[in-house]
Amino acid sequence: MSARQLAPLPPLARTRIRASSDAVITVDAVSKSYAARPVVDDVSFSVYRGEIFGLLGANGAGKTTVVECVQGLRRPDTGTLRVLGLDPIADRARLRRAIGSQLQESSLPDRLRAGEAVALFDRSHGRDALAHLDRWGLAEQATTSFADLSGGQRQRLFVVLALLNEPQVVFLDELTQGLDPAARRGVWQVIRAVRDAGATVVLVSHFAEEIETLCDRVAVMDHGRIVDSGSPREITDRHASLSTVSFSAPRAFDRRRLTRIHGVDRVEQEAGRITVFGTSPMIAPVCAATLDGESGPDDLHIQHPTLDDALVNMIGTNR
Amino acid sequence: MTATLPSTTPAMTGHRPTSGPARLIATEAKLFLREPIGLIFVFAFPILTVLIIGSSFEPDDPAFGGAAPSDYYIAAYIGVVLAAVGLVMLPVHLASYRERGVLRRFQASHFSPWALPVAWIVVATTLTVVAVATLLATTQLVFGVPAIDDAPLTLVGLALSIWTSINTGIVLGLALPSARAAQGVGLALFFPSFLLGGAGPPPDVMPSVMRTVAELVPTTHVVQTIQQPWLGTGSSTTPHLIVLAVIGVVTTIAWIKLANRVATR
Repeated sequence: MSARQLAPLPPLARTRIRASSDAVITVDAVSKSYAARPVVDDVSFSVYRGEIFGLLGANGAGKTTVVECVQGLRRPDTGTLRVLGLDPIADRARLRRAIGSQLQESSLPDRLRAGEAVALFDRSHGRDALAHLDRWGLAEQATTSFADLSGGQRQRLFVVLALLNEPQVVFLDELTQGLDPAARRGVWQVIRAVRDAGATVVLVSHFAEEIETLCDRVAVMDHGRIVDSGSPREITDRHASLSTVSFSAPRAFDRRRLTRIHGVDRVEQEAGRITVFGTSPMIAPVCAATLDGESGPDDLHIQHPTLDDALVNMIGTNR
Repeated sequence: MTATLPSTTPAMTGHRPTSGPARLIATEAKLFLREPIGLIFVFAFPILTVLIIGSSFEPDDPAFGGAAPSDYYIAAYIGVVLAAVGLVMLPVHLASYRERGVLRRFQASHFSPWALPVAWIVVATTLTVVAVATLLATTQLVFGVPAIDDAPLTLVGLALSIWTSINTGIVLGLALPSARAAQGVGLALFFPSFLLGGAGPPPDVMPSVMRTVAELVPTTHVVQTIQQPWLGTGSSTTPHLIVLAVIGVVTTIAWIKLANRVATR
């Protein structure tokens, strides 16, 4: 599904439920154990209205358990949760009418057709089932059984179901798992459109590129705990390695002037190729320093650290 | 995606202007009817087998306690329909829901936690009644259906048997981890129930050990509860009714607890 194929979404209507502040989700000191094995350990965070919030971590880090507690699908051992001002367990029925979910490893019956699935879960009695499917490019699959849908079509159907009934908060858990790169980017487009239409999105993923591309803020989980939170850029700056600028230099090139540039950490040279390590502000001056008159090296390569680099540094190779 | 939407038709979208629970019941009915193993065991197997076995004995064979063999087996095969619903159709359908996360999808939706079990009960009861009616219509054409000796007690026995079978099916479906496990366990329970519960050799030709084993099989009580008041045979239906009532209560409590455990872990 390409970007230009996506039809604009209508604004999502608001239900009568209102949170007392901009925080639509507050998680405070939540812990959960299975058979005395702690899976979520003293987790706290808030999600604010209109943002895409990511929960990032390796498989088994406790992300899914946290969002299942937030949705009232699991009862936490300790801690408090509020979603749109509601207790997810005590106010479960009201909350379910205000949220939409794509749960990890939650499927549909093989013989259920796409149109039937939409009509079943749509509180407006399925009157607009085909319109919902058409919006996400699935109109032709209305009579196709779930078992006969491709991976990308299934994920788009899950998005359709998560967005039915005009939810204020949408939970998407490992939505792009198993998709090829093109289908994954199509789903990313969908997630942005959901937020642009006014919903708050909680995105659970072990895929750092996805979180970095989509999320306004992210909490990184490891072994049941949140090890850092902030914008993807902030987390990358705190935990990732340095940016690099590398290029082939003539023998007469003076390396020492590079070390005087603000932000440069060190300069290395190997077989006629210079690599400059440093923080982001050094990149433009270093590039400028490579110029000889109006010409410069034709193999200049700039590499920024990514959230994935930061994640490796934060949680090691336990991914 | 298109600028002009094709017209929405019920056939394309499954849309009916109905309430949520009614839509759920209609959808579940479609899904049960699209499941071949359930249809084979609930509809085809009892009819084919009763036609074969009902024709395999001389009409005056003394092994059936004075009843005609075809009369004996028509009542007994209603028990086979109920065993197929409770031991094969429901467990496989429900266990596949649990295995594939369909139950969790419903838990996260706006449906009440009890909407799905209620839909299963409504659909399974309806399919059972239709399957029994189909069995009786077919055997009426071939053998003729015997007159009912005690209609109220027969209906009470049938209703209690249906309730117990469906509850047993829900318990197995919620307790077993996968559709494959449910199919294996269900068939392992179904065939002994089928052979020993009254649809196989008549009890009078069984050795005493097998008769004792047969009395432990719940399907035996289902068959006796329906067969005795129907044909006016046997000494008392009450003990069989009590056994079925106990099984019905225990399995009802069991599936409610299992459903609660699945709902909030």
